[in-house]
Amino acid sequence: MSIQVPLTRRSFLRSCALATGAAAGVLGGPGRLLAWTAAPADDDTPGEAVRKVLSGLFGDRPLRRGHVELTLPENAPDGRTVPVFLESDLPMEPGNYVKALHLLVDKNPDIHLAAFYFTPASGKASIDTRIKMRATSWVRAIAETSRGELWYASFKVFPASNGCG
Amino acid sequence: MHARATHPIGEAKILLPPGIQRDSLIYVRTLISHPMDTGFFKDHAGKPIPAHFIDAVTVTYGGEEVARFTWTSGISRDPFLTFPLRATREAPLAVTWRDNRGGVYRQSVDVAFS
Repeated sequence: MSIQVPLTRRSFLRSCALATGAAAGVLGGPGRLLAWTAAPADDDTPGEAVRKVLSGLFGDRPLRRGHVELTLPENAPDGRTVPVFLESDLPMEPGNYVKALHLLVDKNPDIHLAAFYFTPASGKASIDTRIKMRATSWVRAIAETSRGELWYASFKVFPASNGCG
Repeated sequence: MHARATHPIGEAKILLPPGIQRDSLIYVRTLISHPMDTGFFKDHAGKPIPAHFIDAVTVTYGGEEVARFTWTSGISRDPFLTFPLRATREAPLAVTWRDNRGGVYRQSVDVAFS
């Protein structure tokens, strides 16, 4: 059994105004709302845990964007098996080659998910595999050259299910 | 939610592309059956499933190491991996997978030119 309240135009408008006011209040006004929705979308600034992993791997060497291709589905239906492709276009010559491709997932229990080490005999630094993802997270690919340079790419993935338990 | 493997652990395949030419860049596909258990899941009886995953993979070509991979349990079960190789000579290509419980699994194929 439900209680019927007659909904007039006036009461409807009043409740709408109240709801909008409440929402604006919570989020601190329209300006704040915009900042809140727009900023994080492409901001891949690493959190503290990820920074710790990065400095453990590379010290304070600078990371530059580029020379790594990182391909994943933006929406992964199954977090247990997310296809990932990473490849570098840098040369593979003796004395100047991509020594390693590192794969990091910010929100996974093991942030540094895998490292793939190559030699000039590989002919190319490239990997195609499938990974587990626990939650919506930035995925990072870092190419480390034999000369110690670091190149990176990042991509945000939204898995529909948890693959890590 | 945790389907058990239908293949015995360590059953591995290496697939080379057809028609390999000398000095061409080839992509080698590998597949191995392994649970890659993280240690975070429980079985149906509520007992924790201990961590059991491949953590080291080495690739040799004519006996020389050409690539090496270090993994965590973040690689999906029954790991599938494609990696590149410059086919400079006719020689065996061998892959060795090692897991955190001492399991060692090996597979090899012969790179031959056509």
